[in-house]
Amino acid sequence: MTKTSAGKPFPWHILFFLGPGLLIYFSVSVYPLLDTLRLSFFHESSDGSLAFAGLANFTKLLFDVVWSEPFWNATWNNLVFFFIHMLVQNPIGLLLAVLLSSPKLRLSGTYRTLIFMPTMLSVVIIGFVWQLLLSPLWGITENFMWNLGLEDYFDAWLGKESSALVTLAFISVWQFVGIPMMLIYAALLSIPDELSDASVVDGANPWQAFFYIKLPLILPTIGMVSILTFVANFNAFELVYTIKGALAGPNYSTDIMGTLFYRTFFGFQLQEGSLTMGAAVATLMFLVILLGVALYLFFFQRRIKRFQL
Amino acid sequence: MADLKLTDVKKSFGNVAVLHGIDLDIKHGEFVVLVGASGCGKSTLLRLIAGLDEITSGSMEIGGEEVNGIAPAKRGIAMVFQSYALYPHMSVFKNMAFGLKVTGSDKASIQKKVEQAAKTLGIDHLLKRLPRELSGGQRQRVAIGRAIVRDPKVFLFDEPLSNLDAALRVQTRVEIGKLHKELGATIVYVTHDQVEAMTLGDKIVVMNAGRIEQCGTPLQLYQHPQTLFVAGFIGSPKMNFIEGIVKHISEDCLVLTLSDGTITKAYVDSSGCNLDDVVTFGIRPEHLTEDSSADVSLLATVTLVEQLGEASYLYLTLADGTEMVMRTSGESTTIIGEQVEVGFNPESGHVFDADGGALTRLRAGNTKSVAELAQIKAQLSN
Amino acid sequence: MKIRHDRAKALMVHAVLLTYTLIALFPIWVVIINAFKSRKAIFNDPLALPTADTFSIVGFEEVLLRSEFDVFFSNSMIVTLTSIFFVLLFGAMIAWALTEYKFKGNLLIAVLVAMGIMIPIRLGTVSILQLMSDLNLVNTLTALVLVYIAQGLPLAVYILSEFIRQIPKDLKEAARCDGVGEIKIFFAIIVPLIKPAMATVAVFTMIPIWNDLWFPLILAPSEGNQTITLGVQQFIGQFVTDWNSVLAALTLAILPILVLYLIFSRQLIRGLTSGAVK
Repeated sequence: MTKTSAGKPFPWHILFFLGPGLLIYFSVSVYPLLDTLRLSFFHESSDGSLAFAGLANFTKLLFDVVWSEPFWNATWNNLVFFFIHMLVQNPIGLLLAVLLSSPKLRLSGTYRTLIFMPTMLSVVIIGFVWQLLLSPLWGITENFMWNLGLEDYFDAWLGKESSALVTLAFISVWQFVGIPMMLIYAALLSIPDELSDASVVDGANPWQAFFYIKLPLILPTIGMVSILTFVANFNAFELVYTIKGALAGPNYSTDIMGTLFYRTFFGFQLQEGSLTMGAAVATLMFLVILLGVALYLFFFQRRIKRFQL
Repeated sequence: MADLKLTDVKKSFGNVAVLHGIDLDIKHGEFVVLVGASGCGKSTLLRLIAGLDEITSGSMEIGGEEVNGIAPAKRGIAMVFQSYALYPHMSVFKNMAFGLKVTGSDKASIQKKVEQAAKTLGIDHLLKRLPRELSGGQRQRVAIGRAIVRDPKVFLFDEPLSNLDAALRVQTRVEIGKLHKELGATIVYVTHDQVEAMTLGDKIVVMNAGRIEQCGTPLQLYQHPQTLFVAGFIGSPKMNFIEGIVKHISEDCLVLTLSDGTITKAYVDSSGCNLDDVVTFGIRPEHLTEDSSADVSLLATVTLVEQLGEASYLYLTLADGTEMVMRTSGESTTIIGEQVEVGFNPESGHVFDADGGALTRLRAGNTKSVAELAQIKAQLSN
Repeated sequence: MKIRHDRAKALMVHAVLLTYTLIALFPIWVVIINAFKSRKAIFNDPLALPTADTFSIVGFEEVLLRSEFDVFFSNSMIVTLTSIFFVLLFGAMIAWALTEYKFKGNLLIAVLVAMGIMIPIRLGTVSILQLMSDLNLVNTLTALVLVYIAQGLPLAVYILSEFIRQIPKDLKEAARCDGVGEIKIFFAIIVPLIKPAMATVAVFTMIPIWNDLWFPLILAPSEGNQTITLGVQQFIGQFVTDWNSVLAALTLAILPILVLYLIFSRQLIRGLTSGAVK
């Protein structure tokens, strides 16, 4: 099966198989990414010509107050956004997965299908739907809380600086809880029934069976879910853009990396867009994501071995 | 005393009845093998005894105590699973200790019990390893060790040898046999392999389609199969069956005309027989000889010869097309296509009526029953 | 006693799952039922089903009149289907070449492709836009298709490689002994065998493409070239106070996906739970 080039005719068939796909992948994905990293070291003058600027863009972004304040604000907001997903979305996903995998559960397929449904819809649609639901004008949520006797706690959450980001995070959690649920559910299904039987014969109660047997065995999946969440969150844009616009209001309180990148690159209202500053923001996002993935690979995956089942 | 008593145990999953009323009495210290083809309900029965599934009706007692509705861990049983079901993320020590730990034993006694069991099984040098670092045979021992430390009244084995290669299977089989003697424990062992069943069991329970076909010592099953199913199931290669018609009836003997025209006697209890009844005559391959001077001989064509070395199997076709197998000496020079005369002693024949029930054989070596054997054992040990 | 305990437990499980199912469905339900009501009814009793009195499709009429929903829809279809086709074709070809042949650079290519699974293509947007404008492709659907092919390839190569590795060697070797060429082996033997995996890849590739806002917003925002996601976003942004239209636009965007999802959910969930993605 090995076809080495030595002494043989040029392997045209390999070129045929790789050529078209790699041409597109390299020119539209790999090259632009590398070119973006390159551009982040340049400065664009008003006539459009580029000049090498060293680390100037990055020093500006990280230390010059005009740039650094929005940057650190977006970074911090993005971290908050991510932690809410980790603390709410993934535990709920885990709980639902565990319940769905209970033996002999009826309607399990139906629950699974329906709970996963919002995940299928566009973030834009979901954003508008929740904007309507939470709108004080329409009052659905307000009425609902009134029925529960919680009307005092209702507020125009999306409009307040203190609560807008958290509310957006919860909307995103609501939409994407299906992903951890499905992946963890699949991992739970792959644990052989005989292991659960063995733990029952050994006298473990359901809690012990979960914490001592199942949880350790699905830890690799939970790790993978976490890194997927991380990458998705630091790449998020649509939800904030749909509900709060590119300015990520009120007062930038919902600004995250994705929206900051968009504004920096294209400009918005008074701010002028900049090719090279946009590239610099993208480069920093790249580094953050790379850092996350590296941390996951080196610490998480190395420690938690995949156990042979 | 860890007697196990099942009375009219039935099990259905939804509308599908899997077990149709099982009665079984297992005495303390007995090694009982449940054997049958896959899907006969033997594993289901084992899971019911373990308490992993609830019985639909009937009663089940372990050590004189009704265990219906009692959790598996409180029934005094331990189970060795087909895939061993070792916890892949725990060391051998932790695997063996898990049952004791979750039921709240103190550390010192856990340590002692695990070490002792490990020593018995010769795996004390493996305690720190993970299951994936063990060979198949070692995993098997760990699984048994996990059962031993819980000091159960009854051990349940679910096809424990099916994942081992042939050589290891024989070795482990011998070890399980020894272990039984050492521990003196009650063992219920499920397998589909009749050789395992014959070699290990004090008592064998042959199951078919959710019912017990027959229950007895290995030799009882071999010499006095009560049904066509058991006759075909026990013994390898399986017993040959030839259709026959009853031509003459005397008190201790029938005269049959076999489908190829051969006439033979059969020494069986003839009380329920009528002339011209259609019956099945059974003769084991090892009871056929190439000796043409035998009491009865069949004329057959050899269609295939399998040479195993110490013996050869001849595949034969009779004049009417009935196919048979015979076991003959490894030195046999018979070749394919040859016409042979195959002889047998009518005393080694079996006869089954139209419903598949056996007619009692009258001249076969009378084997002692399980109860008798137990009595002898008890006398010897006194 | 144990049976009663089991039943109580099962009831609890159902209660939790049912509650969450309602939480997942309620918002979508509310939007859809209100899209079919008159403005007054939307505000008077948002949770009521449309009745003969309150039934109204004025929102839908407005949407279809004032926007080009049919154009958006067909744009999305064209972009999604074309992209999926090429992702499957090129993805399978790359997966085959990387798993079957040993050649210099094999590992490097495999690593570069695998990196694409984790690193979002969006980060290269600055240069992608420049590239597309150099190629005169800005404001064309072609630009979107190119980007989505590049975006979908890594996962497709990964999943399809896993499947191709499981194809018994004998099959290919038998074909080679018969003198069948490499390209014919791929199309006549390999492709039919990995069709089930391709279906899984198709579903995974389709969802992000259909739902994407970022690239349509940046590469093809002009009149006549919007995808449905961008079209809805722009339409609602414009008519934000016209509740009938907003609800109708959302419903029009949700329903096709909902129907498709209910038809293909088995396929999708089997793909997700079969360990195709790890």
